[in-house]
Amino acid sequence: MKLFKKVMLILLSIMLILSASACGTSSNGSSNSNASKSSKSSDTNEKITLTFWNIFTSDPQKTIVKNIVDKWNQENPNVQIEQSITENDAYKTKIKTAIAANEAPDIIYAWGGGFSKPFVDAGKILSLDDYLNDGTKDKMLPGALNNITYNGKVYGLTFAQQASVLYVNKELFDKYNVKIPTTFSELIDAIKTFKSNGITPFALGEKDEWPGMWYYDMIALREAGAQLSRDALNGKASFEDQAFVNAAEKLQEMVDAGAFDQGVMGLTRDEATAEFNQGKAAMYFGGNFDAASFEVDSSLVKGKVEAVRFPTIEGGKGDPTEYIGGGSDVLLVNANSKYKDEAVKAAKYLAENMSLEFYKVGAALPTWKYDSVDQSQVDPLETQIMNNIVANSKDSVLAWDLYLEGDQAQTHKDLVAQLFAKQITPQDYAKQMQEKINGK
Amino acid sequence: MEKILSDKKAIFLFVFPAFLVFLVIVLLPIFFSFYYSLLKWDGFSKGVFIGLQNYKNLFINNTDGFIISVKNSFILAVLSVFIQLPISLLLALILSRGIKGEKFYRTVYFIPVILSTVVIGQLWMKIYNPNYGLLNFILTKIGLQSLTNQWLGNTKTALGAVFVPILWQYIGYHMLLMYASAKSIPTDIYEAAKIDGATESQIAFRITIPLMKPILKVCVIFAVIGSFKAFDLIYVLTNGGPLHASEVPSTLMYNMIFFRYQYGYGSAMAIFIILESLIGTIIIQKLFGKDEAY
Repeated sequence: MKLFKKVMLILLSIMLILSASACGTSSNGSSNSNASKSSKSSDTNEKITLTFWNIFTSDPQKTIVKNIVDKWNQENPNVQIEQSITENDAYKTKIKTAIAANEAPDIIYAWGGGFSKPFVDAGKILSLDDYLNDGTKDKMLPGALNNITYNGKVYGLTFAQQASVLYVNKELFDKYNVKIPTTFSELIDAIKTFKSNGITPFALGEKDEWPGMWYYDMIALREAGAQLSRDALNGKASFEDQAFVNAAEKLQEMVDAGAFDQGVMGLTRDEATAEFNQGKAAMYFGGNFDAASFEVDSSLVKGKVEAVRFPTIEGGKGDPTEYIGGGSDVLLVNANSKYKDEAVKAAKYLAENMSLEFYKVGAALPTWKYDSVDQSQVDPLETQIMNNIVANSKDSVLAWDLYLEGDQAQTHKDLVAQLFAKQITPQDYAKQMQEKINGK
Repeated sequence: MEKILSDKKAIFLFVFPAFLVFLVIVLLPIFFSFYYSLLKWDGFSKGVFIGLQNYKNLFINNTDGFIISVKNSFILAVLSVFIQLPISLLLALILSRGIKGEKFYRTVYFIPVILSTVVIGQLWMKIYNPNYGLLNFILTKIGLQSLTNQWLGNTKTALGAVFVPILWQYIGYHMLLMYASAKSIPTDIYEAAKIDGATESQIAFRITIPLMKPILKVCVIFAVIGSFKAFDLIYVLTNGGPLHASEVPSTLMYNMIFFRYQYGYGSAMAIFIILESLIGTIIIQKLFGKDEAY
């Protein structure tokens, strides 16, 4: 019995310790939020620490960001930036929970479009309009802030952007004497030529659904133009507009012409890029982020790839320079930050430097003016994308799965997959898009 | 010793830690899930209580193919019981009769169980690949070109193509359970049967299989419950696609929670899977009748 009492005593004390520490954390939490409520009273002579959460777990980004942060910390002994790095998927959960619980850092890494919208709607993110007229906007590329502007207000600073790219295997185009298509009918001709020669015209992995969605979003952009695309995505215009139906028809026209492998619905994106790498496919349509996989040393097409704009469509309302993409990766400033002014200043510094440094190593496309970057240092495919597609472009629309929020994004991808498999007609597609996305 | 075992406090003390772990790790999450399943909740903002609406959406005005996914998991359960288990049983019976190379075959059949599911998934993806896959290659070489297919990319073949590796992977697992059970049957029973002139098949059907009944029951339960919960290989091979042709309840649930941010609705699916498994277990228990010790 004595033993029994002893054990119970130990159990009891463990419980006490556990509950005590639980109390400890909760009181910590409340004192934090108290502190952030009594903000603005920041004393600049005191040493302050800004927290910055991001996802740069691997190089080259990891080292670059570390160097930028170190440099800032040396130049600003009173305002120190403290990084916390989390892996991409885990980060998405972590940041959502932290923002909901008012425990988010001062500077938040996030994505434009649908990802950040709930935070902005909930009033957790600082509006930056008052901070950007000091010449910051002039340092950025035109349209760089479009995807992080909600209800006419800017809520973040972009530092990287996406751009849709048509990659062509120059060697195959030369071999079969095909002209790089600039119009949709030329594209269909090219598809038929490659098809009849036993070359897969387009490598695509539609098992992941989003790679195929890029095709539709691109064609829709050519048919409808950037403004109408955005209006429809915002619920101000209808997806039943003839332009979106036409786009669905064009996509199925490509399928009918034999643009894709028969097994395309079961292939992953990695299998598709591998097919292109082996020189078995003539074209690959995707984002600038695909370029890296075509430039690895094991790639058989290294140096033979050319990055061009997606062809124009006869009768389409879109400007031929418009592309899918735009500012995608952003830094947000916490609306509950104790040191708002310092946080915005630091965010500007980080965003500008990250944008340029990432571009230099070919890790991302810049959203800040990059005249200072030595073009010869940058990966050639990356400069091609910048010069052929992004520079001189009039407008861009974010890929629809980033523009829309979770549920709607998934619905859109599902419907496009059904277009690929010809399970629905273009009219049905447009009708269901309107019902399920704008009807809610 | 007897004194301790009859002491209620001692029993409590020994059972309590395990019970606590079970409570915190298994039971509480189930109750939480049940509560979430009554909410309309995106996992981020505040949930709204909507009663049983999520369950109504599952069965009555369903738009996401949940009922088809349940049907798919039932097909898998039937295939497991009537194709996978008989193969396992046959192998177990042959091996337990002490053939040459018994240990070698036992190990070979068990290897798929040890391999990571992701590895198996990647392996079969290569086999099924329409361009360079082994399956299409062999079909072409033996002159059956007309049978080649986009196995995982075709809505008609995807479900079957996904089920084959699932069935294949666990044959060895069930075989080992049955083999161990067959081995534990006393040899004097066999000797007596042999003296009475029983043939090998008579021994198998009249002695071995009836005496293996308890373990067969366990195998059937594992196979059925495993089918209801099947997730990993399907996730790797097709992720429920193409166009939801190979969707099972758990892939649909994963998609609902992590891509569509519908935590409430996804939780309702989770609760359904738990109940389905529980009821399945009870029914199988009843079908087999009481355990008879030999």
